Amino acid sequence: MIEVRDLWHIYEGKKEALRGVSLTFGNEIIALVGPNGSGKTTLAKHLNGLLKPTKGEVIVDGMDTRKHSVAELARVVGYVFQNPEHMFFEENVFREVAFGPKNLGLSEEEIEERVKWALREVNLEGYEDRSPYSLSGGEKQRLAIACILAMRPKYLILDEPTTGLDEKNAESIKKIIRKLYREGHGILLITHEMDLVLELAERAVLLYQGKKVFDGDVKEFFELDLRKYDLDRPRLLTISEEIGLGFFRSVKEFVKALEMRT
Amino acid sequence: MMYTLYIERDSLLNRLDPRVKTIGSLFGIIALILFNSPILLSLLFLLIVLTLVILGKITIGEIFNVLKPLIPISIVAMIIWPFILKPWYFGLFIGFGYGIRLLSVALLTLGLIMTTPQRDLILGFIKMGMPYEIGLTLTIALRYIPTLYMLAQTIMDAQKSRGLELERGNFIQRAKNTVPILIPLIVASIKTAHELSIALESRAFGASKRRTFLHNIKMEVKDYIALGITFALFFLAVYARYFLGVGYIKLF
Ligand SMILES: Nc1ncnc2c1ncn2[C@@H]1O[C@H](COP(=O)(O)OP(=O)(O)O)[C@@H](O)[C@H]1O
Ligand SMILES: [Mg+2]
Repeated sequence: MIEVRDLWHIYEGKKEALRGVSLTFGNEIIALVGPNGSGKTTLAKHLNGLLKPTKGEVIVDGMDTRKHSVAELARVVGYVFQNPEHMFFEENVFREVAFGPKNLGLSEEEIEERVKWALREVNLEGYEDRSPYSLSGGEKQRLAIACILAMRPKYLILDEPTTGLDEKNAESIKKIIRKLYREGHGILLITHEMDLVLELAERAVLLYQGKKVFDGDVKEFFELDLRKYDLDRPRLLTISEEIGLGFFRSVKEFVKALEMRT
Repeated sequence: MMYTLYIERDSLLNRLDPRVKTIGSLFGIIALILFNSPILLSLLFLLIVLTLVILGKITIGEIFNVLKPLIPISIVAMIIWPFILKPWYFGLFIGFGYGIRLLSVALLTLGLIMTTPQRDLILGFIKMGMPYEIGLTLTIALRYIPTLYMLAQTIMDAQKSRGLELERGNFIQRAKNTVPILIPLIVASIKTAHELSIALESRAFGASKRRTFLHNIKMEVKDYIALGITFALFFLAVYARYFLGVGYIKLF
């Protein structure tokens, strides 16, 4: 369980990025949403200790993040950064994925086993000898996830994992996220794509100007007036409401209901 | 994080043409090299400080802040001399002059930067004959310093999240630890540079030899007066040094 208690963060230069946020989550998919500058990244960076609280505390499975290094917390909380290219530096995919486990000080066999497993999880088997930079956008994103997965964290933070990807690649990322959730990971999804929230998350947390203004069921979340927070309502919901069909998670469900009605 | 030393302030120095300020600083540096008398150098230092405070509206605190990192070096410059010159107190006296001279040269340069926007400074260089391409390169390089700094921070965070510990190990290990930071940083920089060059070329950069400037600088009466005073002071310094023999102590 990750517990965030009355978290304040004030950057140098006196910018109050978080103002008293509390949040508890475990094995679930949470969408962390909010307009640009609302404090999403700042909050996420507290969960693996990249940032330390100015006030308040963050407890990860009983560990106070102020008393543990990022490297220690990385075993429990995996953070997949938004741009995969910001982490690639090895000559091939195998070594790239092995970097995290190596830092954890594991044995050769253990590292190899984890790399294989992680690459399987993201459907990149057979890519071991490719250069990370030679992969396509979607493959890079999957490789980034594998790099973090190989450290076997219980919780995963994904920052805008589908931004800039086409439909097909985004779909495969979504599938991977669902699978990881079923396998027991707690997943924090940072996104401003409301379709992704609708499709994947059970719970949504809305940040606005450094404060938590909503925390609850996704269905309730979409009953909020999202324009007030510079967010768009998914088109799917607008359409299904227009024709009086109610709440749907995906186009597939919606189409099914539509066919049933006619 | 401070990316530029320029201080936006409505002062005479701020409004002065960058060319005049550049020439003034250059003459000032030459004058500082002409003399080695600690008393005269102290007076010159005082003159620079007063000019910045009165004409540039820069506070003593701000001056101290920019000079602070240089104080250790100037102290080293000072304490070397007692070992070279006998008696030791004479060496210390001369060394004091050298320390002050170092700070003065630095303050002249920093004063120029503190009172002139980067853009005007480089435009001034170009108008004085620096090739336009070099000016543009300089501008772009300075423009990207904050961007690169932020990028480096992000990359460091990303690698720390993979368990990289930058401060761990001996000297060699630490040097190795920078590889996962440097490679993504270099790749991203090359990409940015490549995109930038495409953007420049697609706007026909270099198509015409004679360029006009959207933002221009122009010498006004006050600039000519200031330039005149600068020259006068400089010749006075040269005259004092070579014809009157003031301010120079023969050391050996
Ligand atoms: N390193 C930093 N230094 C100073 N201010 C920052 C820094 N990072 C973010 N901020 C500020 O904190 C606020 C929250 O930023 P962030 O957490 O990145 O928001 P989001 O991820 O929701 O876009 C913004 O106003 C941003 O300008
Ligand atoms: Mg962000």
